[in-house]
Amino acid sequence: MSSSCPLGSTRNPFTAVDTPAVGVSIEKLSKNFGSQQVLREVTFAVEPGEIFVLMGPSGSGKSVLLKHIVGLEQPTAGRVTVHGLDAAATATREQVRIALVFQSGALFNSLSVYDNLALYPREHQIADEAAIRDKVMHALQILSLEGTARKAPSELSGGMRKRVAIARALVMEPQLMLYDEPTSELDPVMSATISEIIATLKEEYHVTTIVVSHDRELALGIADRVGILMDGALVSLGPAAALHAPQDPRVAEFLSPKIDLQNPRFKNLEK
Amino acid sequence: MKQLNAILEGFGSTWLLLVRALAYAPTLPRQFGRFVEQCYLIGYTTLPIVAILSFFIGSVLALQAGRSMQDFGTQQFIGSLVGLSMARELGPVMAAILLAGRVGSAIAAELASMKVYQEIDALETMNIPPARMLVLPRLAAVLVMMPVLTIIADLVGWFGGAIVAKYTKIISIEPESYFSVLRRYTHFSDVLNGLFKAELFGFVVVLLCCNIGLNTRGGPREIGASVTRAVVVSLIAILVLDYFVTQVLMAG
Amino acid sequence: MNNSQQNARVGLFFLLGIALTWVTFQTLSDGRVFRDKGYTLIAGYESLKELKQGDEVRMAGVKIGSIELTRLAGRRAEAVLRIDPKVAIKSDATASIVMAGLIGTNYVGIDLGTPDAPPLRDGAEIRTKVTPDLNAIMAEVGALGKKLEDALGSISTTINGDGKTPGLFQKIDKLIGDNGENVNATMTNFRQVTDKLNKGEGTLGRLLNDPKMHDDLVATVGELKAAATNAKSFVANAQSIVDQVKAGQGALGALVFDEKAGNDFKAAVANLRTVSDKLARGEGTLGKLINDDSILRDAQAVMKKADTALDGLGDSGPITAVGVLAKSLF
Repeated sequence: MSSSCPLGSTRNPFTAVDTPAVGVSIEKLSKNFGSQQVLREVTFAVEPGEIFVLMGPSGSGKSVLLKHIVGLEQPTAGRVTVHGLDAAATATREQVRIALVFQSGALFNSLSVYDNLALYPREHQIADEAAIRDKVMHALQILSLEGTARKAPSELSGGMRKRVAIARALVMEPQLMLYDEPTSELDPVMSATISEIIATLKEEYHVTTIVVSHDRELALGIADRVGILMDGALVSLGPAAALHAPQDPRVAEFLSPKIDLQNPRFKNLEK
Repeated sequence: MKQLNAILEGFGSTWLLLVRALAYAPTLPRQFGRFVEQCYLIGYTTLPIVAILSFFIGSVLALQAGRSMQDFGTQQFIGSLVGLSMARELGPVMAAILLAGRVGSAIAAELASMKVYQEIDALETMNIPPARMLVLPRLAAVLVMMPVLTIIADLVGWFGGAIVAKYTKIISIEPESYFSVLRRYTHFSDVLNGLFKAELFGFVVVLLCCNIGLNTRGGPREIGASVTRAVVVSLIAILVLDYFVTQVLMAG
Repeated sequence: MNNSQQNARVGLFFLLGIALTWVTFQTLSDGRVFRDKGYTLIAGYESLKELKQGDEVRMAGVKIGSIELTRLAGRRAEAVLRIDPKVAIKSDATASIVMAGLIGTNYVGIDLGTPDAPPLRDGAEIRTKVTPDLNAIMAEVGALGKKLEDALGSISTTINGDGKTPGLFQKIDKLIGDNGENVNATMTNFRQVTDKLNKGEGTLGRLLNDPKMHDDLVATVGELKAAATNAKSFVANAQSIVDQVKAGQGALGALVFDEKAGNDFKAAVANLRTVSDKLARGEGTLGKLINDDSILRDAQAVMKKADTALDGLGDSGPITAVGVLAKSLF
């Protein structure tokens, strides 16, 4: 990097142009699927340029919340804004580049890795084919994936697939990066690698980053702030350091559950 | 009530998808590669099965008709029966049914799997409308390929009928007289009529299958369910449409 | 598979489709796309019989259009004909319903009309002609056969007699035989007269002085000759009928031919020839006929009747002529 990215700006990894960093605000967000309430009046804000990790047990509504930010879901009540714009509106995604790295990677299986990455610039006619090629190869290089360009997604391992997904997100030149369970189904070393990538991207390009995960190591390792979602409600919000000594017993149990064979939990699960 | 709701929802979402896809029609020239790829899948790879099936449809038509027409001594008119039936009805309907079975199911499976594995969501987040990238090239391709498939189905069916008419003892009509009767009673407007129907059926099948695929919800298991639904709905649509379109075309 | 190969296949496939469509188009419609081009004419009939929508309209055997519509219009049935715009139909052309096959395929045949007549315009009514349908023809043929048989029967009866009363030729034979003596005497007389004439004696003057008698003589001789000729031609005609019938020409032959009737007819013809031969000899009978006015008158009357019959033969063709002959002989 020629010079470090100034605070409050996001640097484009390809053009090295700095743009104001993007913040996200969530106000009293509620979401119902039929009669089931998935999110209950969740309110928090993600500061421009920070890594925000949203934690919580499975089914607590983390992924649904993430989809609201990228406009894939519409709020039942409340409001989600990105950079001051309504996240539910299609126009927002034309003004603010938001990239979502899906849990599964969501790579286009019918396309090669190269074409997966090239799809966005091609469809939006951002550059000619030569420039697209440079960009794609650069993104692959950032994630050390040069050798996979011609491969099909099905030929890749789980960790590589996640990296390709991140590379594909990078090609969008995002101002806001969203990760959905980036370390799930990966071994601890690969999880650490992904965490390092997320942190590096943030360090170098100051991309506002929201990570949904239940990976405690990741949260403690890279998060600026952590929010904890349980049963659709935000129960804890604060700096990552606060997780070392959680106040809420439910949070404490979630973060470091002790296996108790004398009084097994599954006997006491809610019916 | 729930079923009715689902049917209405299906109608609505299909129309919306059509309108969205058509709105992106100006982007077709730069999607030419995808269009050609879909032409290949819809037209070229479907040709063998269409040809084989039409051959036997024409043959069995000649055989059955020949048997009953022989009772009246009218088997020399078998060419007109096979000619008109293939051109106006069986050519387009069989081509559409095979399209539903071979292409429609593949489209539904592909889009359903894209939906289930969040590829569709990924497209949405990339601001690439599925209607533009996935639906429009397929609709354009089927419009171009369906007439080709149908005219081949017609001709192969006619030849199938001719062969059966010649080599079946109870019929024994020479191909010359078979085709002369066929030519006298089958007008090109009948063929055009069939091509129009095929065009309509093909378009509807692809649109329905795209919509059902894109509206798949749930896990991988739902892919299979979507494929089944797509084929069943397509077949129903073909036959119901066929009745009404035939009525309209006959009145016109 | 690489991309250019795929493109090539799709391109080829598409061209194949276009080519096949073109071939089908050329084959099926001689280059015309829609069948409902052209103008309409209205043809009214008492009955359209088996004619139905979509049947062909032909002129001189060439398809020039089709039946667009059939409908009832008051007390008649109308067919709306859709005619190829390239074909002009003359205003004096007539349209008739023609049967193309026994299973009920019909077409409307339009004749060419006269070249000078103006063409019919769109929506005009074309002149129509009723043609008998198959059923009517069959009924007529049956009736004709019956009639013919009756006629042949009565001819043979009148000519040959029925066993009790003598027939025509017996009567004539007898007449001539009975009067043979007189005829001979007359001949003798006549010879004397001619001798006298040759000698230039008074008889010549008498003959010359009586122009009426002379005229009668000449006329009678002429008439007898004509009668002989007529009788011969009748025989020839009759023979040709018999031959046709015998050869079983057409359905008629099969219907008419009956051995007994044929034999009767032949016998009758043979008799007729005997008579005519006798008549043709002329010379011997001449004097007798001259001397015997009543015989002359009888013979004249018979020949007149025969004449009428022969005229009938000439006018209305051989089949009907037999009936006419039978009626007019007596």
